[in-house]
Amino acid sequence: MKSSHKGFAEGTLFALNIFIVVLLIAGDSLVVPRWLQPVGRMHPLILHFPIVILMLAMVMEFFRYRAEFINEKLYQTFTSYLLLLGALLSSITVIMGLFLSREPGYEGDTLQWHKWFGVSVAFAGYGVYLIRHTSKYTVTLAKAGAVITVFCLIVAGHLGGNLTHGQDFVLGPVMDKSKNAVPIDQALVYNDVIRPIFEVKCQSCHNADKMKGGLMLTDSAAIMKGGKNGKLFIAGDPAMSLLLQRVHLPETEKKHMPPTGKTQLTDDEKMLLYLWVKSKARFGKKVIDLPANDSLRMIAATHLKPAESEEEVYDFSAANEKEIQKLNNNYRVVYPLASESPALAVNIYNKSTYNVKVLEELSSIKKQVVSLDLNKMPVKDADLKTIAKFENLRRLNLNFSDVTGKGLKELAGLKYLKSISLTGVKLNIADVKQLVAIKSLNELAVWNSGLNPADLQSLQKQNPKLSLLTGFKDDGKALKLTSPQLKNTAVIFKQSYALLLSNPIKGADIRYTTDGSVPDSIKAASYKPGIILTRSTAIRTRAFKAGWIGSDTVQFNVYKCAYTPDSISFVKYPDDKYKGDGAKTIIDKELGGDNFGNGKWVASQKDLTVIMWFNKPIDLHSVGLNVMRNTGSQIFLPAGVEVWGGTDQNHLKLLSTLKTGAPKKSDPFALIPLECKLKSEQKISCIKLVAQPLKSVPAWHPAKGKPGWVFLDEVFLN
Amino acid sequence: MEKYFLENRLNINRRRFLSRLSLGIGSVALGSLLIPDLFSGKGDEAEADFIPGIPNFAPKAKRVIYLFQDGAPSQLESFDYKPKLREMMGQELPASVRGNQILTGMTAKQASFPLVGSFYDFKQYGESRAWISDMFPHIGKIADDICIIKSLNTDAINHDPALTFFQTGAQQGNRPSMGSWVSYGLGSENKNLPAFTVLLSKGKGNGQGVYSKLWSNGFLDSIHQGVQFSSGEDPILYLNDPEGLNRHERRKMLDKLAELNDMNYKEFGDPEINTKVQQYEMAYRMQTAVPEIMDVSKESDDIVKMYGPECLIPGTYAANCLLARKLSENGVRFVQLYHQGWDQHSNLPQEMAGQAKDVDQASAALVTDLKQRGLLDETLVIWGGEFGRTNYSQGKLEKANYGRDHHPRCFSIWMAGGGIKPGIVYGETDEFGYNIVKDPVHVHDFHATILNQLGIDHKKLTYKSQGRRYRLTDVAGNVVKGIIA
Repeated sequence: MKSSHKGFAEGTLFALNIFIVVLLIAGDSLVVPRWLQPVGRMHPLILHFPIVILMLAMVMEFFRYRAEFINEKLYQTFTSYLLLLGALLSSITVIMGLFLSREPGYEGDTLQWHKWFGVSVAFAGYGVYLIRHTSKYTVTLAKAGAVITVFCLIVAGHLGGNLTHGQDFVLGPVMDKSKNAVPIDQALVYNDVIRPIFEVKCQSCHNADKMKGGLMLTDSAAIMKGGKNGKLFIAGDPAMSLLLQRVHLPETEKKHMPPTGKTQLTDDEKMLLYLWVKSKARFGKKVIDLPANDSLRMIAATHLKPAESEEEVYDFSAANEKEIQKLNNNYRVVYPLASESPALAVNIYNKSTYNVKVLEELSSIKKQVVSLDLNKMPVKDADLKTIAKFENLRRLNLNFSDVTGKGLKELAGLKYLKSISLTGVKLNIADVKQLVAIKSLNELAVWNSGLNPADLQSLQKQNPKLSLLTGFKDDGKALKLTSPQLKNTAVIFKQSYALLLSNPIKGADIRYTTDGSVPDSIKAASYKPGIILTRSTAIRTRAFKAGWIGSDTVQFNVYKCAYTPDSISFVKYPDDKYKGDGAKTIIDKELGGDNFGNGKWVASQKDLTVIMWFNKPIDLHSVGLNVMRNTGSQIFLPAGVEVWGGTDQNHLKLLSTLKTGAPKKSDPFALIPLECKLKSEQKISCIKLVAQPLKSVPAWHPAKGKPGWVFLDEVFLN
Repeated sequence: MEKYFLENRLNINRRRFLSRLSLGIGSVALGSLLIPDLFSGKGDEAEADFIPGIPNFAPKAKRVIYLFQDGAPSQLESFDYKPKLREMMGQELPASVRGNQILTGMTAKQASFPLVGSFYDFKQYGESRAWISDMFPHIGKIADDICIIKSLNTDAINHDPALTFFQTGAQQGNRPSMGSWVSYGLGSENKNLPAFTVLLSKGKGNGQGVYSKLWSNGFLDSIHQGVQFSSGEDPILYLNDPEGLNRHERRKMLDKLAELNDMNYKEFGDPEINTKVQQYEMAYRMQTAVPEIMDVSKESDDIVKMYGPECLIPGTYAANCLLARKLSENGVRFVQLYHQGWDQHSNLPQEMAGQAKDVDQASAALVTDLKQRGLLDETLVIWGGEFGRTNYSQGKLEKANYGRDHHPRCFSIWMAGGGIKPGIVYGETDEFGYNIVKDPVHVHDFHATILNQLGIDHKKLTYKSQGRRYRLTDVAGNVVKGIIA
């Protein structure tokens, strides 16, 4: 070999090792582009070369300084080249391996160990190659280097084999296959249920080689014998048995078994051990010999059942991605069920754009569609022929579509159909039976499809495995109607008020009274649109309908306010926290509602005095104040109200006063319109209104002795 | 032999060294090509492990309806039956049970912690014999369709952080909501409706606020933001055309606007511009899709009887449940309801009865309704609040009047459909209803499980923002295998 070739090879080797370092530092942020993935996948192929070549080179390196070889030129040169080649190949293999490891599915401890041992091989090989020409290189170093490299090579190779072929691949055929599922009718309680627990969770410490605590759990004789602390259990008495005591000790206890750090027993396993000991810990009993309702049998049965495979496997290939994209539009969504899965789901929306073409256009992906949602689409019977072409369909939603029972026979050829929803489709039982004949079908939704309950019941009986969804059935119990609603937006009016009452339940009869009595369904007036109110009124109303319980009574208050002052001002200001939007808050034709803190109320603990002016004199005969009573929050009715009036601010006379009674502890929360009637109608241009709070809160209240609050949200002038 | 050593030394001269060095640098450069983020500083759009819009594995559930009971309903009056508390009524909470639990400012200074049992009785329902309080008779009837989890626990003890934690996986806010993650992860099933919608209702009980940050898209594309449907004339604000503008003109306007936006996009390349165009287009299609969904007048009498007559009054919880079914049926991935008013610090027996009356019938009806349409197996329904309530009374304990403070250590929720085991009760609390004794489920585990049912590996659903990858489950979360069918 020319020295330039050798130099090139050495350069490459150096470069490759640097590259490996970079890849290792990059770690998880490494992204292998698609075109490089095949290189990574060649790792399992190429790796055989470094194994053979590097191993041979290292064996030769090991014997390099032997007297018979030291002067053999051929031996020395060959070793040198072989080592170079081996180091090169192992570096390349490592790089490929690092690429491959970034593909999905490669994770876990084995991979990590394999990776680091593999990298060690490459570095060790290169290291030996680098130092073997220096003067400090000795026989010992040569031997040590060779041994380390070969050791790493073997370990890396072994772990790699585990990754590719699975653990215990080599010895698999000769190993005990007890893990294979045993059919329940042959299973023995001890052999197939209890022993596997011991094998997996206990035997690593309690076996013939390693008898911790003098206990061996590998055969029945040893189990019966127990360990150095005595017998393992008292047959039939789990509570007194050492085995269960140890298992049930808190994990923090030193004597808890299995020790912390080892895989713990599951609750089911603990229960199985408990029940086995309780049933006298027999070794020969069959699972099916136990009574059907025995807990041991029931838990054992679930234990023995082979794990069902979770994901469905499809035997068709994926559709063209571009084709899928092309078929997607605003009203037809085609999407893959999962990444890496060829199966597609299709949802169709918008009644007005649906026609059978929407389905026919899907013919290029008819193999791949496994789920089709046509909820509320006007699907006709004829369209079912197109649907039947989706041969791999698993799930079909035809709720509230226009198909009829007769057309459903088209679907009989769908041999994978698992679930079909026909809610709201008119069916008869014969059509349904045809569908049920599809063997794979396990869910059928037929609520609201006009089938009679007896037929459905017998259908369910004949097909116990079918989940027949019949849905809600009116149990005939009457429900209470909701109360009528007031649809008017305002509750304060100037001259007249067209009352608008409604109830969301179709056909409900709305009755009402205006005299404060509770409306009934006979004597009370029936509401019709067009009722006009001309004065402040408390309307009490209820709704009635045959087959329903009458609603609760609700009361709506509407207020007449004939005059709105042209200007208004406070004389004594309200409290800073409750000043609303100034004095105009009380003439804004908007009530404050239940929440006194919402800024629509004005309030004070002192006299609340406002003055109102009119450009033209008005005929005043009553003044109303809407106030709040909320005893818990120290809000009481004003103790007194004074109405003053006159032609201007300086000529006011006291026109009316109102006193409220002493508050009682039981007074409920209320919004109350107080009315001050004037003795005679007066021509007035200016009104002064004074609301006086309760001077001293009564002794039964937590705030006793303090003044009460007055809350006012609106004034009505008539 | 000597010759070798000499050659070797001669070989390492300056030229040789430099040429080697260049090879080394070349390798580094080559390697860097495979590490996309090395020099860019900005994350690449496509994550290696996750393609937005496609589940990692075949999903059990395609959609979620989350009935959030805002304010935290008491588990002790709903699904966690503790007769011991009645026996020990008025006695002090043992210090050994409380352990090192920190209390809220509302009861930390309370001199005594008198235990209080449920004012309401419990009954067993269904084949699962689950204990359910008398306040929830309708949910009792669907006991065999639901999975009650009694061992949820959270890190937060106050409403806002706890709620934010439940909705976004972090207590601080600014992260994407769970619905936004699902929208990002699974994409939209129906291009005429948003993938994530929000419905609010309010009971008469003591309430806590809900804010739009709870349905924020955080750092995700704004198309994943939750869209609130309100109960008034305009269910979605600003969706309707202004008066006098016909649909044809609107179309023309949108086309012109799209052209302008496209010009802008070509100049600046901001992806938010494209998002905006998409949203205009979707809004245009929503103008026809939404009125059809909001119209409940065509619902049959059976439906009204199932959900209760309140379901026809917009803005009630029952109406929202009905709406949730209609949205979900139309392919909305995540429907988030909030019902406010569950914060019973005082007056619990009376207030909670009112709240329960609001939600009991409609929640049960929603599950039944989905089931009878064959949709329950692909729709995951979740019912629950943000934490639990203490087993002792806040304030004075009277026979028929008491309150309960916040309790993060254990609380109960239920789930139905979507591949969750029906008719089981998962997890156990001690006889005081204070600590979990079996199978705890942390909020992160809850999130991991929901994503798992949707076909998403919660460790793979990531988004890179400001230099790090984020997950809904942050760095925690285990799928709760015990509740998966």
